[in-house]
Amino acid sequence: MISTKMIGSVTFLYLLCTILYFNFLAFRSERLGKAATWAAWISLSVQTAAILLRWVESYQLGFGHAPLSNMYESLVFFSWCIALLYLLWEWRLKSRVIGAFAFPFAFLFNAYASLAPGVSAKIDPLIPALQSNWLHAHVVTCFLSYASFALSCAVAVLYLVKAKGQEKGEKKGSLISLFPSLDSLDEMVYKTIVVGFPLLTIGIVTGAAWANYAWGSYWSWDPKETWSLITWFVYAAFLHARVTREWRGKRTAILSIIGFVSVIFTYFGVNYLLSGLHSYA
Amino acid sequence: MRSSLSKEKQKGFFSSLWDSLSSVRLTIPLLIILAAASIIGTVIPQNGSPEEYLRIYKVSTYKILRILGFLDMYHAGWFILLLALLSLNLVVCSLKRWPSVRRFFGAADFKPEEGQWKAVPPARRFFTPGPVRESLPRVQEEISRLFAPPRSLEGGGAGYLFAEKGKFSRLGFYFIHLSILVILLGALIGSFYGFRGYINIVEGESADRVSLRSGQPDQPLGFRVRLDQFTVSFYPTGAPQEFKSRVTILEGDREVLKESILVNHPLTYKGISFYQSSYGIASVEKALLEGVERSSRRGFTLSVQPGRETEIAGTPYALLLNRFVPDLQGMGPAFQAVLIEDGRPVETLTIVQGPSDFAAQRPGRFQFRLREIQPRYYSGLQATRDPGVKVVWLGCFLMMMGFGLAFLMSHRRVWVRLTEAKGDTAVEISGSSHRNRHEFEKELDRIGAALKTRLSREQRNSS
Repeated sequence: MISTKMIGSVTFLYLLCTILYFNFLAFRSERLGKAATWAAWISLSVQTAAILLRWVESYQLGFGHAPLSNMYESLVFFSWCIALLYLLWEWRLKSRVIGAFAFPFAFLFNAYASLAPGVSAKIDPLIPALQSNWLHAHVVTCFLSYASFALSCAVAVLYLVKAKGQEKGEKKGSLISLFPSLDSLDEMVYKTIVVGFPLLTIGIVTGAAWANYAWGSYWSWDPKETWSLITWFVYAAFLHARVTREWRGKRTAILSIIGFVSVIFTYFGVNYLLSGLHSYA
Repeated sequence: MRSSLSKEKQKGFFSSLWDSLSSVRLTIPLLIILAAASIIGTVIPQNGSPEEYLRIYKVSTYKILRILGFLDMYHAGWFILLLALLSLNLVVCSLKRWPSVRRFFGAADFKPEEGQWKAVPPARRFFTPGPVRESLPRVQEEISRLFAPPRSLEGGGAGYLFAEKGKFSRLGFYFIHLSILVILLGALIGSFYGFRGYINIVEGESADRVSLRSGQPDQPLGFRVRLDQFTVSFYPTGAPQEFKSRVTILEGDREVLKESILVNHPLTYKGISFYQSSYGIASVEKALLEGVERSSRRGFTLSVQPGRETEIAGTPYALLLNRFVPDLQGMGPAFQAVLIEDGRPVETLTIVQGPSDFAAQRPGRFQFRLREIQPRYYSGLQATRDPGVKVVWLGCFLMMMGFGLAFLMSHRRVWVRLTEAKGDTAVEISGSSHRNRHEFEKELDRIGAALKTRLSREQRNSS
């Protein structure tokens, strides 16, 4: 499949983006920054084309469906969502500092899809349980929310690094002095969760509606469902902590990281470690 | 004396209870405890049989887990209590905060805090010719064009305008909190007035009751469901493509509805929904066999009805298929059979579909291979009634609305103060937003600049 080869090459493109964004941070050159942004948009375009091509290829195989149906496809889509959301943030905030922390995620998920021996890149027909229009709404909202939480986690890590650096006494011209201020990092940790939380909620609701349609029960405490709810509880706690100003800064940054660990467990852990109805991705 | 003391203590206890119930300080740990506790049920298998648990755990561990309610933890008292506590916390918090939100829905608030006027940047202070009386209606018109229709107040030689947008955004959190209660109510309705059961129906037969889990008595449906046909199809890859049960609903002897039930395509009749859930082979109507007589190496085909002796033409033998095995050790469907001579069994055999050398290797008068079966399927349907589902969807809808209000909108207010200044009017513009303050400051600057140019243009036109 050509699309599979293209997606494989995207792994290297995202690695290149990661390196460029890190170099931009290290050398603070505007030209490097521009190069990183260009590389990122080009990589995203190649990945978009590859995903669309895979869609076309599935029709050529005679059982066409959107490429959102198994582990491989969801990983690639996750990587795509992270790159897209990051670039939208960069465009809005006119700041490239998070790039070095966002692109490793896009790179890792795409690399995992392409290289992990357990993840098959084969295009398979849809089994009866997946033959539903809910598939698209459910998968798209879930992964957009995951991607937003990934960005939040990246910024939270940045926050903790900077806070630690400031405690030790920040040197002028050091790497962390280039990071945005703690306040604006804190604000970004919050804002990405404000984007991700309603999307996660829609993802859970569309999943419940679909489950009600396919299995006759909108909620069965299946491990996947339960873990998505656990994730929801963590981010709900984050929002309450942040909005009412009880917690700020370090503690909310840690909560954002815990939230993302929960996201990753919902996504991978449930599939690999626990058994349940939701064994596709 | 003593009684009053204990009364005071009691009051202290209740008021501190009220304080903690009405505090977000309780919400955060509650959410985190709920998240952590929910993990238990994803690690320990839920609602298993004692045998299943004893295979994994020691007897003592099993007993402890059962006492703690960890084996059906999402319905255990302590878990429900946590949910109830969260709901209570949510209700009390919402009630407590209501007065501070309510004031945004009362009369127009013309005067912001005095400090706010001092903080107005120079860009949003300017003069316009003419007295307040004349400039007030002009400013009012422009503000309604630039932002939102304002209400005005005039008095003491000064004029005040107040315009706002998105005040319903303040209600977003109420919608979200209310929606959680509505969803829990829907779940409660479902658990009291709904049921979930299963029926297996063999093709051509019908059922009028479903069996529920956990040894409860069967649930009568009030009508009959007949399975007319079950079909299963596969992709060329071998993966299943479609499971389909064609059913007829019968009221007494009258056929009222003919429908197909597929995965992702349930059938609902009189509030009870049927879902395609499993299938299997109940019995075999007819089996087509390929046989070879060892002595003569003569090949033949034989159509056999299981349970009935079938003579093998040209030989003194008859074959009886007496037991069907849907899947024999991963080799697919198989039959246990007996070869009969003069009414007496002389040989037992196993006839499989798969590799023919299985049959070739074993000694005997014949070797058989199963070529085709005409199965009679049963279809496993899940039957559910849940009057709470609609309430749950209503709750979800409210929650979405709440998110839209709370996160996509913001309550933005603009105040304009007009004061006399030697025959001219001094205009000051202030504002506040309960979200994205930084961006709203920029919007206010834009409004200020636009108002200034529009007023001066008007002035030029009229003079």
